[in-house]
Amino acid sequence: MSRLVTRRELINLLGATGGTAAVLQAGSVLGLLPATASAAALDLLALGSTNKKVAILGGGISGLTVAYELNKRGYDCTVLEASHRCGGRIFTVRHGDLIDEIGNRQYCEFDDDPHMYFNAGAARIPTSHRSLLAYCKELGVELEVFIGENNNAFLQDDALASGKPLRVNDYKTNMRGFLSEMLAKSMSEQQMDEPFTETEAENLLSVIRSFGDLSEGDLYQGSSRNGYASGGYLTHGVQKDMLAFRDLLQSSMGRIALSAYEGDYGPCLLQPVGGMDKIIAGFLSKIGGQVKYRAIVAGIQVRNDGVEIAYDQGGARHKLQADYCFNCIPTHLAVGLDHNFPIDYIKAMKYVRRGEAYKAAFQAKERFWEKEGIYGGITRMNNSSREIWYPPHGIHKDKGVVLAAYDFGGGSYFTKMVQQERVETHLQDGEKIHSNYRDMVEKPITIAWHRMNHMLGCAARWRQSFSGWTHEEEQMYNILQAPAGGRHYVIGDQMSMNSAWMESAILSAHWAMQDLDVRVRSEIAK
Amino acid sequence: MPDPFWRNGMIGKREVIVFFAALSFCFIKAYAAENLSDLREPYNDRYCTTCHGSDGRGNYGIKAPRLAGMEPWYLKRQLENFRAGIRGTHSSDREGIAMQSMAVKLSDSSITDIISWVGSWDYVATEITIEGNESLGQQLYIQCASCHGANGEGNEALGAPALRGQNDWYLATQLRNFIEGWRGSHPQDSLGQQMILMAQSLQNDDGIKNVVSYINTLSRK
Repeated sequence: MSRLVTRRELINLLGATGGTAAVLQAGSVLGLLPATASAAALDLLALGSTNKKVAILGGGISGLTVAYELNKRGYDCTVLEASHRCGGRIFTVRHGDLIDEIGNRQYCEFDDDPHMYFNAGAARIPTSHRSLLAYCKELGVELEVFIGENNNAFLQDDALASGKPLRVNDYKTNMRGFLSEMLAKSMSEQQMDEPFTETEAENLLSVIRSFGDLSEGDLYQGSSRNGYASGGYLTHGVQKDMLAFRDLLQSSMGRIALSAYEGDYGPCLLQPVGGMDKIIAGFLSKIGGQVKYRAIVAGIQVRNDGVEIAYDQGGARHKLQADYCFNCIPTHLAVGLDHNFPIDYIKAMKYVRRGEAYKAAFQAKERFWEKEGIYGGITRMNNSSREIWYPPHGIHKDKGVVLAAYDFGGGSYFTKMVQQERVETHLQDGEKIHSNYRDMVEKPITIAWHRMNHMLGCAARWRQSFSGWTHEEEQMYNILQAPAGGRHYVIGDQMSMNSAWMESAILSAHWAMQDLDVRVRSEIAK
Repeated sequence: MPDPFWRNGMIGKREVIVFFAALSFCFIKAYAAENLSDLREPYNDRYCTTCHGSDGRGNYGIKAPRLAGMEPWYLKRQLENFRAGIRGTHSSDREGIAMQSMAVKLSDSSITDIISWVGSWDYVATEITIEGNESLGQQLYIQCASCHGANGEGNEALGAPALRGQNDWYLATQLRNFIEGWRGSHPQDSLGQQMILMAQSLQNDDGIKNVVSYINTLSRK
């Protein structure tokens, strides 16, 4: 039998870490927000009569940001996009769309309705991502709230409650209650009077009590926060039974229930009305005429006086001469081009690993989740499909598109499967949450980013270790961020320390353009 | 401001509306008559260069080998073997698994088209990334030469592809895969089974490095 943690041991543990006391004096720094909290205005020189040609390789959001900003300043920009669409991993799938996964091409068969779409890549915008939001405003991209955290969604783990799905609210309310009871009891000990003043100790205790909804004597005895078993409106509410603390500890899902919605994933999140690619459409409304589609880059030669690009389009090889080049082609594809990059630059490009994220979606014949009181939000499962997302848009309409799986990577579990195996797995996983799932869903689509044509990977992975960046990794990052020959810039979320976010891609483009601006100003001043 | 043209007495507004209504009906008819799939984004199976690099030069970033200069008979056999699951189905053959799923839907005519496309690419010298003991490698290569040719030029009659000019990192990966039995162990892969036996003589990573570095010298000839 496993041993109980005594109150004394808990106090000792708190003391041993020294954590709380160490940060007590640190209040003054709490007012600071991460650097990305403000959208720095780009201070770039408008060229006037000077002519500068810019080649932009890849029509992802970083490439389009460069085209949009430099076009405003009088640069002559050309975007070469290898596929039939811009946006890269900003990919909204609708009726009739091609999902160009090599070896598993699909056409989306969803109903042709404005709310029947699936954001297969980027799918939520944190409100701290100010540069992206500034573009949404500037480009007239209408936004609405995206719901991530939803207490009425489910948690499911075969090790928890015999595999029965629990409402997030039931799990969370009980877990918070138990945690608070342990903390409150430890607070009443004299040893904990230090280092707090009486007022501080009182306030802290009141936070702990309200965090867990404790009753008299600092006991957790259940709560109405997770709703009533019955009544509550015209009659008195009957409190739900408490869950057993030990039962909750049979699963690691609590980690997700209590902390999955922090940082960039926390409220408030936003999404464009009608699909994430409305952002791409916003950029294209300004510079769409400068994009060449199905233009596959074959070579990049950086010269002293410019950059020479070779690309294939319409069965022929073409050349594009430019003064500068901004390249958001994934580094693992760029190394396979006919290039003359410096050796250490190539070494860095080869080092970055490909992300393996995978998503799938179904069309739902009915919005069955709404009948269970779920409006938007995410169900979390301890199985390979991992998540089910309920669309926050199209509420109370007949149908909706539900995310059936989001595997962030590690082993390409679904990527290796054929379509039928992928879909069957999602049906089996979803049935554990909604017993009618299999009957309710149809028209599946799957997107294995590791195999998507012209991308072959999701977000770039620089770090080999979860513990952080090594010195060598930072060195390679810096080498790749600096322009090759002063003329070729690698951009995109791959050129950031926080890949997978649109904000990172935009900021990488801003960094590169600021660097370019310094060079152009000094050249013009000569 | 000039009158709209239907007010100039030559043609009435109603007639214009009827005319456009009839015109739009014709358009709707025309679209409805088409197969829906004709309106969809078209594609073909010429997607090799996404992984294998521009002009099939090979891409270390994807661990996808050089195709330019590859013999048409070998390319055909490999694509057919991948398509049939004779290659690329062992759970440890990471790169092979990726290729297998990409080949599985290729039609015979797609394979023919790909082979002629690959034939249009000029071979460019591959980069040297593996350096070992070339003279020890030369000794080891004597056995290889009996099938793959003294200069690594390959031998169609024996079903042995050319080795010279191939990406050295790819050769090293495949030799390891053969030694481990991750490639070539399918019951219908008789040539692969032969390679599994032959590759055992290399014994370890040093053997692989040495023989590949010798093959690199053949590529430079």
